[in-house]
Amino acid sequence: MGGALVLLGALLAAWPWLAPRYFVFLASLVLINAVVAIGLNQLSFGHAGFLAIGAYTAALLTIHAPALPVIVTLVLAGSLTAVVGLAFGVPCLRLSGLYLAMATLAFGFVIAETLLSLEPLTHGADGLRVPAARLGGVTLATDTGRYYLVAVVAALLTAAAVNLARTRTGRALLAIRESEIAAQASGVSVARYKTIAFGLSAFYTGVAGGLFAFVVGFLSPDAFDVFLSVDFVVMIIVGGLGSVPGSVAGAAVVTVLHDGLASFQSYRPLIFGVLLVVCMLFMPGGLTSAVRALARR
Amino acid sequence: MSAAALLHVVVSGLATGSIYALMALSLVIVYNATRTLNFAQGEMLMVSTFAAWSAQRAFALPLLLACAVAVVTGALLALVLERLVIRRAIGATHWDVLIITLGLSLALQAGAGLVWTHDQFPFPSFFDNRPIALGPARLAPASLGIIGASLVIMAALAALFRWTRLGRAMRAVAQNQRAARLMGISVERVYAAAWVLAAIVGAIAGVLVAPVIFLSSKMGLIVVNAFTAAVLGGFGSMPGAVLGGMLLGVIENLAPFYLPSGIRYSVPFLVLIAILVVRPAGLLGRLEQRKV
Repeated sequence: MGGALVLLGALLAAWPWLAPRYFVFLASLVLINAVVAIGLNQLSFGHAGFLAIGAYTAALLTIHAPALPVIVTLVLAGSLTAVVGLAFGVPCLRLSGLYLAMATLAFGFVIAETLLSLEPLTHGADGLRVPAARLGGVTLATDTGRYYLVAVVAALLTAAAVNLARTRTGRALLAIRESEIAAQASGVSVARYKTIAFGLSAFYTGVAGGLFAFVVGFLSPDAFDVFLSVDFVVMIIVGGLGSVPGSVAGAAVVTVLHDGLASFQSYRPLIFGVLLVVCMLFMPGGLTSAVRALARR
Repeated sequence: MSAAALLHVVVSGLATGSIYALMALSLVIVYNATRTLNFAQGEMLMVSTFAAWSAQRAFALPLLLACAVAVVTGALLALVLERLVIRRAIGATHWDVLIITLGLSLALQAGAGLVWTHDQFPFPSFFDNRPIALGPARLAPASLGIIGASLVIMAALAALFRWTRLGRAMRAVAQNQRAARLMGISVERVYAAAWVLAAIVGAIAGVLVAPVIFLSSKMGLIVVNAFTAAVLGGFGSMPGAVLGGMLLGVIENLAPFYLPSGIRYSVPFLVLIAILVVRPAGLLGRLEQRKV
């Protein structure tokens, strides 16, 4: 396990020297999506909205306060998203299943609409150009520079997520996921930990949104539509619900697949859709269970 | 706004709402039988409506026959999808089935785009477009027709669920699948019947709505509104789906007259969140008592 981690770290660090420039950009996208997928701990169809809040916050901070180091910008983007996430999440604590999914979907629509109408700030449908991120005296203006920023932040957040599972909070969240009633009966404050989960999820997605803004360099509200939210859900289910490696694998598969199919143009959704169906028919439980089943054999 | 204008807006809202209600009923029928949310319901509506349009143009069919083509296509498509795909995933978790129907919806939409292109096409209407005067108010025959046809279908569905053997079997499976199986009901047949029934309702909704919103490969997106309507009313409840659909249609049509343009499209969703905060299981829904 330790050896595999070192190998993975080395591969991440060496990637810009191994791969062509475009694949460095693609790897950044994979890592950003992985951060969202790790943070996506429940079925939500509104995470594109959270991503948008993080992205626009980071972009506007960089435009209006260029002296701010990028780390501070990202933390602020994550925090603001967490605040919005809590403001939305706390009233929705009583919802579950389909109702929660629908509320998150509604939330995503409202955010997209709000971004369009806040024209003085976001330039509406015209979009917003994001200046390069700055860290001290260094400007991260190349794909490689941006990649390293993403890789470091993604590694930190992934490590935090893995470690969270071993804390009291992590165990409480796991208990709630397995059975809310059993968790409550065992003295876990469901409302409190669900609030924490909501905040954390929004924070992760907000930071990912900030990274997204820098990597893509241009924001417009239609980039954050419901299809993106659906993609995130696909990532965690294809990867296998509730596992950090599964989330990362799901993010990688979906991102690379979308990119690889881009040249098929109008056949792309057809191929993607059929792949999803076949994948779930022959690999129920996603990649994580498939790997486990192979290991058992 | 004058009373006459208000009446006009409310009636066209009810017409939009009837379509949402029909689609919401489709979703609820499948959900009650199989506990699956069928994301592809909208695309199935779209494909059956396109089939009706093609048949109507190729053979110069009267509209009623074209509607029958839509119904048959929808039913066949549902049967094939249920048999080939959904049935194989019976043991899978809800999430897996959710992704499967999502995949089906992507594939159907892209497939329809390849066959019929992604353009918009006008679709012939059953109804005259000269407005009917009702006192000072002027009402569109299309709106009244859609409302009337939808009410007929809803009544037929209610009768089917109340008085037929199939309806009773479907209600039994919705209540308790294991008990239903022990009573000799073929749960698999109920699954298939639910898919077919939902597709038939969807196909009729498609033929009704296509003249209003045009025929296009994107018309399946109406499923999002239907989902909103079903949740608003309380998912799983059929009267709830109708109530939610009507409410959503009226709110959508009224909002632009009273609210600034920046938030008008958000209104249905804000209403939805507000209602869910007060009633977490929708207007007519009941929270399921879950055990450990």
